[in-house]
Amino acid sequence: MSITYLEAIRLAQHQALADDPRVFIYGQDVGVFGGAFKATKNLAKEFPGRVLDSPISEDAMMGLAIGAAVEGMRPIVEMQFADFSTCGFNQIVNQAATLYYRTGTPCPLVVRLPSGGTPGGGPFHSQSMEAIYAHYPGLVVMTPATVEDVYTMLLEAVALDDPVIFCEHKFLYYHLKADKLPVEALPFGKARITRPGRDATVVAYSAMLHEALAAAEELSQDGYDIEVVDLRSVRPIDTDTILASVARTGRLLVVGEAWPWGGVAAEVIARVAAEGFGLLDAPPQRLNAKETPVPYHPALWGTHRPTATAVVNSLRHLLEL
Amino acid sequence: MPLLPIIMPQLGESIAEATIVRAAFSVGDHVEVDTDLLEVETNKAVMGVTAPCSGLLKELTATIGESYAVGATLGYLEISEEDAERLGLNDAPPPPVDKPRKKQSSGEQPSKSAKKTVEPTVRGLPVPAHVGGASFLSPRMKARMAELGLHAADLAGVAGSGAGGRVTIDDLERFLQDLERNTISPASSMRVAVADAMRRSWTRPLATVVLPVQLDVLLNHRKQQSVKAGPALYALRALSIALSEMPATAGRLIGDRVIHPRSVDIGFAVEAEDGVLVPVIRHADQFPLVDLVERYNRLVELARARRLPGSDTGGSIATITNYGVFGLTMATPIPLPEQTLLLGMGAGRVTPFWNAESRTFIPVTEAQFTLSFDHRVLDGGAAGRLLQRVAQLLNTPEKL
Repeated sequence: MSITYLEAIRLAQHQALADDPRVFIYGQDVGVFGGAFKATKNLAKEFPGRVLDSPISEDAMMGLAIGAAVEGMRPIVEMQFADFSTCGFNQIVNQAATLYYRTGTPCPLVVRLPSGGTPGGGPFHSQSMEAIYAHYPGLVVMTPATVEDVYTMLLEAVALDDPVIFCEHKFLYYHLKADKLPVEALPFGKARITRPGRDATVVAYSAMLHEALAAAEELSQDGYDIEVVDLRSVRPIDTDTILASVARTGRLLVVGEAWPWGGVAAEVIARVAAEGFGLLDAPPQRLNAKETPVPYHPALWGTHRPTATAVVNSLRHLLEL
Repeated sequence: MPLLPIIMPQLGESIAEATIVRAAFSVGDHVEVDTDLLEVETNKAVMGVTAPCSGLLKELTATIGESYAVGATLGYLEISEEDAERLGLNDAPPPPVDKPRKKQSSGEQPSKSAKKTVEPTVRGLPVPAHVGGASFLSPRMKARMAELGLHAADLAGVAGSGAGGRVTIDDLERFLQDLERNTISPASSMRVAVADAMRRSWTRPLATVVLPVQLDVLLNHRKQQSVKAGPALYALRALSIALSEMPATAGRLIGDRVIHPRSVDIGFAVEAEDGVLVPVIRHADQFPLVDLVERYNRLVELARARRLPGSDTGGSIATITNYGVFGLTMATPIPLPEQTLLLGMGAGRVTPFWNAESRTFIPVTEAQFTLSFDHRVLDGGAAGRLLQRVAQLLNTPEKL
């Protein structure tokens, strides 16, 4: 049996619905149709009345979910694309994020954001929204990069009493496969050292983890030993693991698929510069998407996002600094 | 007719750019090979850019008063086909048609009055290759060195294996491990303090001038005194008078300002245990020599006993060191980091001196006096004049 990243998301939701009667799924065409990417396929049949189609209004979807969460339910909201969540932005950042601080009432909900670029996705179906949501205190932002993590972290997200923005990467939906689902998981909020090394640290998350790993593999041919850290969640961010890694390597490259300006990569570098300046052998570097909207054409898209080749080039530059 | 670009030549080993001062010809003039076309100025000298070939000055793209990088095109000569053939011009890629890149970005700020930014006072500083190389210490290296109490000077003997030849953490740890094979003893706090002062002082451009000084008059004067001052005290008193006449020589250069001394307080070096202490005689210019002897002797004793009170050390503007007591005739000692001047005295020796009047060699007692100084504050001329004045004062000891 081999399980894809997308199938793991479906199985996690199945598990959550089975485990906890307070859980329900809400989104556009999540019911009979099974969701835009089939992440809720057959769930409506198996859990009648708990997988509900919403109107085409992200604002309304979020409003209903927040109300349900206040009343003790644990909704999972599916956005068709992360890009569309901006239509529900007010509900997410002004209501869900602040609710506990304002009223002492927790807001346990999960917003699933099918994120990131795919060939031909274009500007409205490719965005990475993690930095925007991570900006707001009160939100948890998860960015799983593996089949195992997407399964265990989605279950964790449902169990958390805070609103969780769950950034699942569309490019990994079908490509990424695992033999079986995990029974154990790293604790919530911990980064993982996916590949140990000593010459430089690459911090990545979501789809960029795989570009970083491919780059590390390529540079190992030249005798470089690159450490790759998977952030797993960008808020909370595991500064300790990053600093420990930089303490070993002295060099840092942060790779993110989102735009550089005020992004997760910038945040990681700011933390390392502020708290670990004395660990650095070279100025920390970041590699992000180009600062334009995401292009449609697959060839343009391939140069817009950081690729393994781009990571290799950035690393070579970093190693020579 | 082919065009030959006029290129800013490499004017010296470490010169990266030069400023155009004057054009010797006008556009349309015929120029002979090897004549100076342009006069350019670097921070070191004024030089000429010569015509690589005879021809007609077709165009001058360079502007007077602007700086151009070595290799920049400054204009074009129209030359004959034969010359072009000989110079291999036809094989080379065509000369660039765009305007030469100006080092100073006057294009962005067209009017002089609009320039709000601070202009560097010295233009065209040499830019050696790999500036970030061997001297660069990463924050990680600095943190590790601070942890171990090391200074950059401690790493002088470590060849770096990192990018641009810099010393890496691995180089450092290997170096430190290697040291463990030697006998190691702790340095005294006195040693560490001297090391610290000398290292800080050495960050400055220090120079030394030397003058032979005849001591016979001084030694005779000394013999006749009941309270005897040492030669170092004579020199100290002479220096204090000389400095009261020209106090700016003992000034310090901080940024673009010269800080003048408040009072003529002169220190003198005393060897104590594993280092050197520098007691100070305050207002040495205001007391005759005879009044200073007792103070001087007491300070020497206190220093040797390492019982020198804080009020009797520090804050001096120059120091005397009598390395002659070690039998040395000449040395280039290092001034204290907060001082500009250090007067050194070599051992006196009887040497033949040519007396022009009697046309004979006569024996004289002579010692080499050295003045080590911060070259940022004064030059050889000023240092020489100060040292001459000290010698002159020492030859009228009764006035000291």
